[in-house]
Amino acid sequence: MYSIEALNLSHHFTKGERVLDDITLQVKEGSIFGFLGPNGAGKTTTLRLILGLLRKQQGDIRFFGKPFEQHRTEVLRQIGSLIESPSLYGQLTATENLLVWQKVYQCPKKRIREVLDLVDLANTGAKKASQFSLGMKQRLSIAVALLHSPTLLILDEPTNGLDPGGIVEMRTLLKILNEEQGITILISSHLLSEIEKLVSEVGIIHHGKMVFQGSLDALMERQQQVASLIFEVNRAQQALQILADQYPTAVIAQGKLKLPALSNEATAAITRRLVTEGIDVYGITRGDNDLETIFMNITNN
Amino acid sequence: MTTSFIHSLQSEWLKTRRSLAAWLVILGGFFIPLIMLTARLLYPDRLPGDSAAPDFWEAFFGKCWQMMALFLLPMGVVLATTLLAQLEFRNNTWKQLHTTPQYLTTIFFSKLAVILLMMLQFLILFNIGIILAGFLPHAIYGVPFPKEAFPVEFFLLKNTWFFVDCLPIVALQYLISLQFKNFMIPLGAGIGLMVASLIALEWEYGYFIPYTYCPYNFFELRKVAGIGQQGVNFHLWALGYFVLFTVLSYVLYITKKEKG
Repeated sequence: MYSIEALNLSHHFTKGERVLDDITLQVKEGSIFGFLGPNGAGKTTTLRLILGLLRKQQGDIRFFGKPFEQHRTEVLRQIGSLIESPSLYGQLTATENLLVWQKVYQCPKKRIREVLDLVDLANTGAKKASQFSLGMKQRLSIAVALLHSPTLLILDEPTNGLDPGGIVEMRTLLKILNEEQGITILISSHLLSEIEKLVSEVGIIHHGKMVFQGSLDALMERQQQVASLIFEVNRAQQALQILADQYPTAVIAQGKLKLPALSNEATAAITRRLVTEGIDVYGITRGDNDLETIFMNITNN
Repeated sequence: MTTSFIHSLQSEWLKTRRSLAAWLVILGGFFIPLIMLTARLLYPDRLPGDSAAPDFWEAFFGKCWQMMALFLLPMGVVLATTLLAQLEFRNNTWKQLHTTPQYLTTIFFSKLAVILLMMLQFLILFNIGIILAGFLPHAIYGVPFPKEAFPVEFFLLKNTWFFVDCLPIVALQYLISLQFKNFMIPLGAGIGLMVASLIALEWEYGYFIPYTYCPYNFFELRKVAGIGQQGVNFHLWALGYFVLFTVLSYVLYITKKEKG
């Protein structure tokens, strides 16, 4: 059973090129789905489309197996969302902001206190939302999304503006919500490292096209294929000649020796060989395993 | 639908708390009565004459409405409607509002209802101010209260017409404010139309301009000769424009491609 099924979505803005090209996104019930892509790839447009904030031009959107357009209010009752920057009424306090939405959702008033506790904003008192730091605003927005106890959370770059501690807290909170309350989460980010510890399924969007969708393990496997090992040595050209027979794909990049990713044993063996041949090894690092490189690799393939 | 409208209305009303529009209503409501009160307190020798006047309340009501009807009320309505309708743009909250389980129709009409309620609130505060400004100086200086019985029916009727005559302004400002993110566009349009309406007051077809009805109502109240639209029921025109602008605004809102 899928919580979200967005099938063959295409979208273009007036006179512009296609910002989404035949996107298919399927989020399994109970999963944490990481929706990745660089800035401008089409993540927010996709999320705005599936939530009905943009008029659909082509494709099919279903939530919990039901067509969105025919069941809009019924479906939205089960969804909590945070799209891009925080949506808060600056002149109101945290409690008043939540009260605005509590009136609409008609959820119990005690939920306000519960979600404020959850995001650690229970003691903000009479402080207006406009006086909050960006991190506090982001957390209050999460509280808004959680207020009506949704079964599906759609979060667009929720860690924006959070400090490293805040990011860890956010990850922990989402993990708890998923594991203990069974909430399905769709979270977008432009940083794989930020959500790789959280998600079980991943979708990668690039230039408006879905270039990868599958499990995190499958993505890691691909990552391994494109990853490289970089040796910082004193005589790179000589080191390349020494290893040419064994690693013909090795190259020199920015004065460093670049090899395909290897096992720990193979790495140790190369190091020993270089040292034996009189080459000084200053450092060994893994390279090309950033998200952008994976995008490029996946796109090129 | 009715229940969800009430919940939506409560939610929209909460959003006005501490907003600029809410302050505008309160301060605007008491502004002219405060000036009138000060003037009457400064000239207590005129109070006995006021007490004896057979039409004190009608005359005082007219004086209070003078600046209000010609300039302050249309301007206040332009500002308050624009501010309220723009609340979501300013706070970046359209996307949150449009992902709540509410029909777009409910959202549209609950927002409009809040604006109308605030206008009603303004009229109530303004009239409380008028009554206080009418009675207080007499109480303070120990001068007898106006001998004329307070004309409740007159107040209700005239206020109702002012309310009706403001409706086209509300509807048109609401329409523009929902369409443009830039606050200056609805504000500029409102001020522009207000100035145009003041210029067109003496024009025989001035009633075509939807912002002229408040001044016309005032001239009718003060029975100013030469200005006004004798023979034309401009209140009906006001209602007609209100319906027209509201329908147009609703259609544009519902069919908007981007909702946040």
